[in-house]
Amino acid sequence: MHRYKFVLYRPLQFLPVLFGISIITFILVRLIPGDPARVLLGTRATPEAIARIREQYGLDEPFLVQYLYFLRNLADGEMGRSILYKIDVLKLILTRIEPTLMLVLCSVVLSVLIAVPVAAVAARNQGRFADQAIRVISTFGIGFPPFWLGLMLIILFSVKLDIFPVSGYGNTLPEKLTHLFLPSLTISLSLSTVLARSLRAAMVEALRSDVATAARARGMPESIVFWRHVLPNSLVPTVNLLAVNIGWLIGGTVVVETVFALPGMGQLLVRAIFSRDYMVVQGVAMVFACATVLINFLADIATVALDPRVKL
Amino acid sequence: MSAPLLAITDLTVVHDGDAGTRALLDAVSLDLAQGEVLGLVGESGSGKSLLCRSLVRLLPSSRLRIAGGSVKLAGHELTDAPESVMLKVRGGEIGMIFQNPTSHLDPVMRIGDQVAEGIRFHQGLDARAARAAATDVLAQVGFSDPARQYDSYPHEFSGGMRQRAMIAAALSCDPKILIADEPTTALDVTIQAQILRLLMDIRAKRGLSVILITHDLGIVAQVCDRIAVMRHGRVVEVGEKRGLLAAPSHAYTRSLIASHPSLPEEEAAPKAEKLQMPGAVPVVDIEKLHVRFASGGLFKRSSVNAVDGVTLRVMPGETVGIVGESGSGKSTLARAVLGLTPVSSGAIRFDGNDITSGRAALATLRRETAMVFQDPFNALNPRMTIGQMLAEVLRVQGKIESARIPARCGELLDLVGLGREFLDRKPRSMSGGQCQRAGIARALAVDPKLIIADECVAALDVTIQAQIVELFRGLAERMSLTLIFIAHDLAIVRNLCQRVVVMHRGAIVEEGRSEDVFSRPRHAYTAALVAAVPHIDPDKPLLAPPKMATAYAHAAAN
Repeated sequence: MHRYKFVLYRPLQFLPVLFGISIITFILVRLIPGDPARVLLGTRATPEAIARIREQYGLDEPFLVQYLYFLRNLADGEMGRSILYKIDVLKLILTRIEPTLMLVLCSVVLSVLIAVPVAAVAARNQGRFADQAIRVISTFGIGFPPFWLGLMLIILFSVKLDIFPVSGYGNTLPEKLTHLFLPSLTISLSLSTVLARSLRAAMVEALRSDVATAARARGMPESIVFWRHVLPNSLVPTVNLLAVNIGWLIGGTVVVETVFALPGMGQLLVRAIFSRDYMVVQGVAMVFACATVLINFLADIATVALDPRVKL
Repeated sequence: MSAPLLAITDLTVVHDGDAGTRALLDAVSLDLAQGEVLGLVGESGSGKSLLCRSLVRLLPSSRLRIAGGSVKLAGHELTDAPESVMLKVRGGEIGMIFQNPTSHLDPVMRIGDQVAEGIRFHQGLDARAARAAATDVLAQVGFSDPARQYDSYPHEFSGGMRQRAMIAAALSCDPKILIADEPTTALDVTIQAQILRLLMDIRAKRGLSVILITHDLGIVAQVCDRIAVMRHGRVVEVGEKRGLLAAPSHAYTRSLIASHPSLPEEEAAPKAEKLQMPGAVPVVDIEKLHVRFASGGLFKRSSVNAVDGVTLRVMPGETVGIVGESGSGKSTLARAVLGLTPVSSGAIRFDGNDITSGRAALATLRRETAMVFQDPFNALNPRMTIGQMLAEVLRVQGKIESARIPARCGELLDLVGLGREFLDRKPRSMSGGQCQRAGIARALAVDPKLIIADECVAALDVTIQAQIVELFRGLAERMSLTLIFIAHDLAIVRNLCQRVVVMHRGAIVEEGRSEDVFSRPRHAYTAALVAAVPHIDPDKPLLAPPKMATAYAHAAAN
């Protein structure tokens, strides 16, 4: 079990990382052109009113002071107040975090469910028709932009066939899952192709490896060789690729949430950017960054679990 | 003679390439009797591994196919048997073990499960019964605590134990025939001796028939009953081992035997002793050298003594061999001498200057030393022709004017016995021996005061090994080269080097003239090493009194 000891002390390393993330998001958000007070009050606001709002939200203070306020609030579990929604940013994010989390989770599960069998079929029929067909289809999967793909899925499954809802998010779990299916599929169609390609390459390699030869020489049928030796040895590189992609995916939910009108963090972020709602943009960016750190941590745990040679 | 257990008749395997069909195995006929050990020798590419793969129809490429002939196992034809029958034959009737246990064992599966896998599939036992059976097999191949070791992964074991695990997996279903493909090539000599003895024990206990593929005639002489010599996909000679070794009828067999670097007896011609000038400065003067590597994580730091207090002098024109098993620190010592690894304490003087003193000394050192590497192919840049590679070295050196460079490249090739046409060749169109000659030419291009050769013949076939050793010997005599020759093969070192240094666990345990050290070893470890070398004379049994050697081998394995 000593191989898992890093689970205890690795989170200590997160502290400096999170500190760095806070500085970067703080600076980046303030580099966005435009004045939030003016956006809030509209174009005809008097200079006095703008000055009052700026003072109220601390926008008139120097950068460093603003950052220190931000840190102090963070320590209290607050990320400042949203200018637009007039509530604490953290509370606001908490109301929006669930749809995004569910969307990412469903997309990943769906992607893995698609990628593993597809890669297995391609690798075991290397160079033959099934492999070529999968290669062509997956090129399309990578090529089509998600916003277009999402719209096409809506037209097919919601408008024409009327199986899945067009947009929105339900209240009960089954309702939520039906609403999440099309958005998850949209993401999975591109994510699974990336995963399947990596997995196929690793499997082709493993099918030719000495491990597979030795198993065949023991009289193992091809199915046992594949599922017990080839697959476990192919997973590690793909797990790391998946982790990288989930990090990218969290940012990528913005488009899909907009297309399917899911009330998640992506949608919140878009609205916050348009209204120069600094605090919200900053909070969402921080949550995204933390999620990426956490996902890589989980990927490390998965790697250790999958490969007994790895020590972290 | 009773009917053979395995009868191979006119077996032909062809490769369907773009350029037409080529026979890789050409009408091979061989018999294997019950309980017999057949040695299959020949160089890489001679088809010995392919032959064994063909027996169980596990051809390494889909472009290969069995084009003719028959393989009969106890009277049943295998070449056209359905796949379902072959599944039972593989593992159940014919077990296989391979050269590299590290790559053939599944790194993410427990050792015991890999042994039990075959038992479950072939004998249909449930998980618990299979575990018990596998634990039993692990005990038979020499695992000391099989119940606990069952749950370990391959990387937790040494190379010798991994090979034992692979033997266990091959034996798990009680096959009648064991095919061992270079089973000890990747192992140290003392471990090799243990594995060979284990194979012989198992064969005696189970009445197993064994096909042993090897390039080492010494192994064949020690453990086999009959020998088959293969070349270019054909069996050129088969016979009882004593007769065949004593009176080989085929010219190729004779050259194989002549190339075998057996340890010669006392009568070996003494190598030319070079007179040392009194007061000559040693080329390399190592004093109380320690090299420590840090290991462990952030919180628990420890260090490994890779080189532990080594003192060694190499005089100009001397050829010094460093021998020892893997992990003995011989390569680390070489790297330290070349300034490639930081020194923890002690001094290394090159030509009188301390190389640890600063960058200038290190730059001089690098200009005047050269290294020849183990893997001849990967040590050459695949995108450069040999001529470009040599010219680059000469240009960077700047010792001769650029107009003379092409002529010098030609001279260098002459020195290493390569034709001038190799100036335009690239490594991928050259054989291993030719690549290694090019690598030596590159080392000579530096006009070095010292050449360090690290296991530079380990990857080559025996006949090529003999040629490269001969080349080094010639160069050493003609050019009064100073050579440090690192090898795990004692016989080669004895043939080439005047002086030998035996390393064990980072320290020098014995040092002296090669003849003295090998014929009258003073240290027990040297004696164990020498005793573990399989002798080509079948009447000189391997490790007759095994106690001393195994004691050391156990220490080395742990």
